[in-house]
Amino acid sequence: MPLDIDRFAKLESPLQRWDPRVKLFTLGIFVFSVALLNTLPIACIALFLAICILRLSSLPYDFVASSVKWVIFFLLPFFIIMPLSYPGEAAFYVIGLPFAWEGLQLATLIFIKAVAIILTTFSMFGSARFDVSMIALQRLKCPKILVQMLLFTYRYTFVFIEEMRRMQIAMRARGFVMKTDLKTMQVMGNFVGTLLVRSFERSERVYKAMLSKGYQGELHTMVTFKSERQDYVKSILVLSAAIVMLTLDFSGLFLPAKQSWF
Amino acid sequence: MHISDGILSAPVLITGFIGTIAVAAYTMRQLDLDDIPKVSVITSVFFVASLIHVPIGPSSVHLILGGLVGVVLGVRAFPAIMLGIILQTILFGHGGVTVIGVNTMMLGGGGLIAYGIWQLRHRFDIKKKEMIFGGLAGAAAIFSSGIVLALSLVTTGEEFIATAIYTLVAHIPVMIIEAMVVGACAAFLAKVKPDALAGQLPLATPPLAAAGIAADKTKKNPK
Repeated sequence: MPLDIDRFAKLESPLQRWDPRVKLFTLGIFVFSVALLNTLPIACIALFLAICILRLSSLPYDFVASSVKWVIFFLLPFFIIMPLSYPGEAAFYVIGLPFAWEGLQLATLIFIKAVAIILTTFSMFGSARFDVSMIALQRLKCPKILVQMLLFTYRYTFVFIEEMRRMQIAMRARGFVMKTDLKTMQVMGNFVGTLLVRSFERSERVYKAMLSKGYQGELHTMVTFKSERQDYVKSILVLSAAIVMLTLDFSGLFLPAKQSWF
Repeated sequence: MHISDGILSAPVLITGFIGTIAVAAYTMRQLDLDDIPKVSVITSVFFVASLIHVPIGPSSVHLILGGLVGVVLGVRAFPAIMLGIILQTILFGHGGVTVIGVNTMMLGGGGLIAYGIWQLRHRFDIKKKEMIFGGLAGAAAIFSSGIVLALSLVTTGEEFIATAIYTLVAHIPVMIIEAMVVGACAAFLAKVKPDALAGQLPLATPPLAAAGIAADKTKKNPK
């Protein structure tokens, strides 16, 4: 799984050029309106729009797929559990279990919505440097302390992944093999403990270094944002798509997925 | 362990956000200036540690360590877990933007409960109490998260009852593994670096998470 979500932030595309503040706000609203959808046809439109936005961001296909495949993997059980456990009329029986089409419809709706939202999240955060996105969030009135902590945590995640890899290599070199037993769990507990002790000491050093550079609870950056007319045009396009989707969804033109395919 | 986008109904999502904002605002007010980098650094350790996969028979689960966050950070566990969840959403697309609230209530609440149980150890005078109470805290965090997860599914609609039961059952092996790992880790830290553990002093009142702040503050003042 790629951890550096912003590795393709340097590509040129309409999404990368979009002012991060306007982009995060607009796509955030889009994501929430997708989450509220109840009908399958509109959810399909949402998925289509999400794919379009992702295509516009020109993020490489493999990069997105490598993360999305895990999400899809987690959602697959729904296709088995939901139809077999849906309360109501069974269409037919699979090895003694009642199979309800309504359950399958609901599972499909969940799947489509989830994939649409994840793809949009990639376009949101994959198209700008992580720190720029975070500063944009701060400009959007996200609490300062939260934004700072997110930036630090993100930064140190890479350090500790390296540290963990080194420790794992050392463990393997000494012949440790993971099994399902108490011993393994104890070793893993000590492993996490060691990682924690090291990080405590590091966090002391980090804090002292920050203090000596004049840290007083504020982060100063040289990032500036400028929004132009085209930023707002993009935003209005996406927002009106979201409004049209929600209106169609609640208009009763299509039945909720619990009742019908369309 | 987290719930994905697109499942829960709007009222459940909104309740999650309101609850998270309320608890986060309360717990983050307890943070000092020097806590900001420290909590962040420790959060990233937990974030990294949750990438560790432990085998269960032919399959494997990843560590959650919500209980350990409570044991190490005390009340600060809630903002720490919230950070972890936001990062996971942004970086992996696990969970999702709309369920940040519910997921934080689920796992962060588990962290606070773990801290409450961890603090109970002061009332007992037994051998290896760090290991025992660490283990209990680890299991309790997963247990309460499982309950919140099941509740949020059931309140979304009755068609999710079977799914909720299935997820609760699936949590049992995770609970056992977490108990063993968190117990071992708490015992290790008690031996190697006791300062790292939260709540050195017993709580004055029963282990309500809110009361834990008072204990934390008294601990800080001497230094």
